[in-house]
Amino acid sequence: MNKACWDDFLTERDKQVFSQGGFGAIAGMGKRPALLIIDVSYNFCGDKREPILESIKRFHNSCGEDAWNSLPHIKSLRDKCHDKGIPVIYTTGIVRDDGWDKGSWAWKSSRTNEDVNNGAPNERDSNRDGNDIMDEIAPGPRDIVIRKLKPSAFFGTPLMAFLNDLGADSLIVTGTTTSGCVRASVLDAFSNNLRCTIVEEACFDRSQASHAVNLCDMHAKYADVVSINEVLPRLEAIDPVYNLPTGSPLK
Amino acid sequence: MASKTDFENHCWADVVSDEDIRTYAPYARETYVGENVGLLVIDLYNLVYKGGAKYPHELEPDFPNSCGIYAHDAIEPTKRLISGCRAANVPIFYVTAQFNPHRVNSTRRVHLPMVAHDCEIHEAFAPEPEDVVFRKERPSAFFGTPLIAHLNQRRIDSLIVCGESTSGCVRASVLEAHMLGKHVSVVEECCFDRSELTHKVNLFDMHHKYADVMHLEEVLDDLKTRVEEKDKIALSA
Repeated sequence: MNKACWDDFLTERDKQVFSQGGFGAIAGMGKRPALLIIDVSYNFCGDKREPILESIKRFHNSCGEDAWNSLPHIKSLRDKCHDKGIPVIYTTGIVRDDGWDKGSWAWKSSRTNEDVNNGAPNERDSNRDGNDIMDEIAPGPRDIVIRKLKPSAFFGTPLMAFLNDLGADSLIVTGTTTSGCVRASVLDAFSNNLRCTIVEEACFDRSQASHAVNLCDMHAKYADVVSINEVLPRLEAIDPVYNLPTGSPLK
Repeated sequence: MASKTDFENHCWADVVSDEDIRTYAPYARETYVGENVGLLVIDLYNLVYKGGAKYPHELEPDFPNSCGIYAHDAIEPTKRLISGCRAANVPIFYVTAQFNPHRVNSTRRVHLPMVAHDCEIHEAFAPEPEDVVFRKERPSAFFGTPLIAHLNQRRIDSLIVCGESTSGCVRASVLEAHMLGKHVSVVEECCFDRSELTHKVNLFDMHHKYADVMHLEEVLDDLKTRVEEKDKIALSA
């Protein structure tokens, strides 16, 4: 990799430690990847492109313009996977109408009650359910959507079973937030011995420093952080046979 | 592999009524051992063999955790299964209990004090250096263990399961493997329990819901074919 996005945040000593400690070796992509799109919903993008400090007035989790900068990249990865028959798995949140299952989220954020939408327009002046996946990358009939309560896409979900059903051995990871659900999911994937390729331009966070340093940590320890320009040709080269959903109702 | 017509040809025939068998007729299918398979050996530790080959009710006062005669009857078949797997290069995973006087118990029984030796794998099945041995504290071999990571790493898509108890840790592990999308073959003669009825009914349940219960000879035949295939490839190379 040329200059990494985290280089500006590291001291000279940090760089030497990573390099001399043998961290950041390239793990490789695996033979049968699946694309994972984590939480790219209105909650995390807002319902229009605007500066983050504007966007979080109505969507307290929004990552603002960085989200909208990532969207076209996520879309091109998604479209490539559709073309190639590579599984596409989305995650997004779910919450009860009374908010009870916010659980530990409510311990750390004073605005989590705003996530409870009751399916009706709320103070956001938006008729979107914040957990809806962005229209720009709306899931197709053969895609898989996993609803989750906690940061990791694996925690309390059938994701590991679905990957086994699909015959997938690795993940291409995109989405948000780099420091939250992306990192938690990558860590669980790593613990499960699944190789992860994180697409740098396709991940975003509300904090620039967290984005950079978390990519740095994950690249050092758990995953390969790779530019989309390298990932797309590698996906093109995959000749997959996956047990994909048919997308049509059973007769 | 066993044909659809042999689907109910198992040890539960004398305890499951004809009516129940009819109810379950739509489940009948061909049974098989998966392609990239691993062997999971569950809880074959010394404790369950204590007191010798007697009936568990005779052993109960002194060795309440022993499966007695049922454990001892399964020793020879299990040895054959393990060596069949070794010959076919099937990776072998042993799980046994974690010895810890303060451990979380995997059943609700009243326990007699245990010693570390109780939790060691019985000498008849001593693991080889290339095998994977890990410990657990709860019924399922997956719960709180790295088993799924081991299977993912070696791209193992299915398991052959043996060990004890059929109704406890075997069933819990088979259920979880099934939920994770792995095909499971449970070897009838290589599983045991304290109670014959429980053993049979749990095999019946697993066979219809989660796994292919197979006879040892069927599994050994399958493994032998794999060895022959391997030899053929080696010869032609």
